[in-house]
Amino acid sequence: MAKAFKNGLKGITGYLEPAERELLRSLFDDVISMLEPAERANQDPLAALVGLDAEAREPSDRALRRLLPNVMKNDDEASLEFRRYTERSLRENKIGALKAAALGLDKDELVLGPADARHWSTALNDVRLVLAERLDIRDDADAGHIHLMQDWSQAEDVESYLALVYNFTTWLQESLVQAMLASLEA
Amino acid sequence: MTLSVALGPDTRASTHTGTAASTDVLTAPDIPWNLVIWNDPVNLMSYVSYVFRSYFGYSEAKANKLMLEVHKKGRSIVAHGSKEQVEQHAVAMHGYGLWATVEKASSDGKGSGKGKGKRG
Repeated sequence: MAKAFKNGLKGITGYLEPAERELLRSLFDDVISMLEPAERANQDPLAALVGLDAEAREPSDRALRRLLPNVMKNDDEASLEFRRYTERSLRENKIGALKAAALGLDKDELVLGPADARHWSTALNDVRLVLAERLDIRDDADAGHIHLMQDWSQAEDVESYLALVYNFTTWLQESLVQAMLASLEA
Repeated sequence: MTLSVALGPDTRASTHTGTAASTDVLTAPDIPWNLVIWNDPVNLMSYVSYVFRSYFGYSEAKANKLMLEVHKKGRSIVAHGSKEQVEQHAVAMHGYGLWATVEKASSDGKGSGKGKGKRG
């Protein structure tokens, strides 16, 4: 079983079983591939270099839309304009955090410095946002219902398996954030 | 982010960027804007509070108060400033995975309390 993250003299430490590390690695990889911008044949390499994407549009996938939301509630046109200037680098930053967290999975024992902890917390958060969309968690009641699924012997279909994975990542993120909050006090 | 640093030594590139930015400032009137954080059933309360403390440098008390406002009222204005400032904050919040939008500070002063029935 994984051990909760703890803040201590070495930084934030945690422990994951090999199977848990493999699970997290595949979750991080899944979200990375969702976020990787589509390569377009005719794209302007300089524009790409400075982070512009004239072709950017609001994602049709709900989970991706939650990761890359519109910046204005009731102005799709202004949101799209903003997206063209910012979305590419937002995607790249998220991918960077997910890749950094995945790299840290090479050892059983996790020792996280402040930057690693930030990468891990956002990576876990993005994974949870995607899982929550797949599980159709719309409100606190849905979240509470999913939270009841704690027993791995209950994993009998894709949905219950996803719910258990969601609860595991929730527990892991909560323990990490508590350790990060403790490190703010120190 | 790192790319703009890499482009720094190229003076022509940075002059060009500077011109574009100042044109932007001229067309956008300097009126106050709000950064709004919306509630969702996924983000952990501890995490939201942590983001408010570490990114904005808010005290524990202020961060928790804003986090609870998001949780209970569905939304909270957590920062305000020029359009460019709050847009920059919004991108940072999206980086953390929080659901953030920007809006013009409305004439009723607060612009809050409308989000009750919205997606929780």
